[in-house]
Amino acid sequence: MALTTTHAPETKNAQTVGMAQIAIVTDPGVVRTVLGSCIGLLLYHAARKTGALAHIVMAQQAGRTGPPGKFADTAVPWMLQELSAKGAGRAGLTAKITGGAAMFGGSGPIQIGAANLDAVVRLLEEQRIPIVAQHVGGSKGRRVTFDSHTGDVIVEIVGQQPVIL
Amino acid sequence: MADSTQGDPSLAVLKQAFATATQHASMAMCQWTRGSVSLELDRLHTAPLEEAMGLFTDCMDLMVMIVLAVKGTDASQLILSFDESRGRQLAANLLQREVPADAEWTELEKSALMETGNILASAYLNELTRLAGRQLLPAPPVFVQDYGTSVLEQALMVQACVSDEVMISSTRFVFDAKAVDWNVLFLPDAALSQTIQDAIFFRV
Repeated sequence: MALTTTHAPETKNAQTVGMAQIAIVTDPGVVRTVLGSCIGLLLYHAARKTGALAHIVMAQQAGRTGPPGKFADTAVPWMLQELSAKGAGRAGLTAKITGGAAMFGGSGPIQIGAANLDAVVRLLEEQRIPIVAQHVGGSKGRRVTFDSHTGDVIVEIVGQQPVIL
Repeated sequence: MADSTQGDPSLAVLKQAFATATQHASMAMCQWTRGSVSLELDRLHTAPLEEAMGLFTDCMDLMVMIVLAVKGTDASQLILSFDESRGRQLAANLLQREVPADAEWTELEKSALMETGNILASAYLNELTRLAGRQLLPAPPVFVQDYGTSVLEQALMVQACVSDEVMISSTRFVFDAKAVDWNVLFLPDAALSQTIQDAIFFRV
């Protein structure tokens, strides 16, 4: 679902979304994250130009501790609640998904990225939120930049042209 | 984030073990680089994954890394990381050549850095083998050019799957008598950390 290629926008003032964090971004706003096997999930409301970008580490909380953004099954409800509070209701949301790589060939935890992706897709289906673009898998890290004004997600991979989702 | 070992005797024991291993790695590196590179243990962190990763927000740009898994462990890894220009500078120094003008890394440059990782990891793990009473060997080095945090994230994921906290031992480098922003990160899994602690306590 990659559309075009471009250069990433100026990101000096971009807020960084660290592991297990969720950024709620209103217009104008630019946020950035770097993903390996984690999933970057963007929920975006085009009419409100408001989005939430989560850096999800694992599929399920299953009694473990951590902020809502750490687990897919806690991140999605938290994002929906926070977006709703900003006037970005579920009916107007679309999703874009990035990340889920399996790095270092056979020595890495290959199944984690795929498990994270499966969990996120399932949760979005349950909430009836359409996935309009995804850039997932592979064996390289991704640097991801989200611009709330355009709704664009720019995905950079070392040695490749950036891609806009 | 401060060093995690203060007030925790078991972590202090581990830190001492990693400091000794680092000293051995430093001697090996000094020999390999004809005295231009040495290293010293900086900090030992134990923290939830998301907090530990917060230490490395300056690694969002392209880095060059040599990643070595520790054979016979679930997830222990040793990562040697540089920014692009300093990695090439070290390779040029080892090869006794000028840094090539070509943007692409040559196979020879990659090989010089991978061998550096091998030497460093072998010296480090030899000493841990002695302390732990269990043979620890490095797997073949992997040369990675990628965003630093994405590699570290992946390296820590197996630890994170079984524990709410991860452990990172970080090391300072000195190159030509100047402190430089290179890193050796040792990421022991929980079972290996426990083995080392038990071996040292038992010996005492």
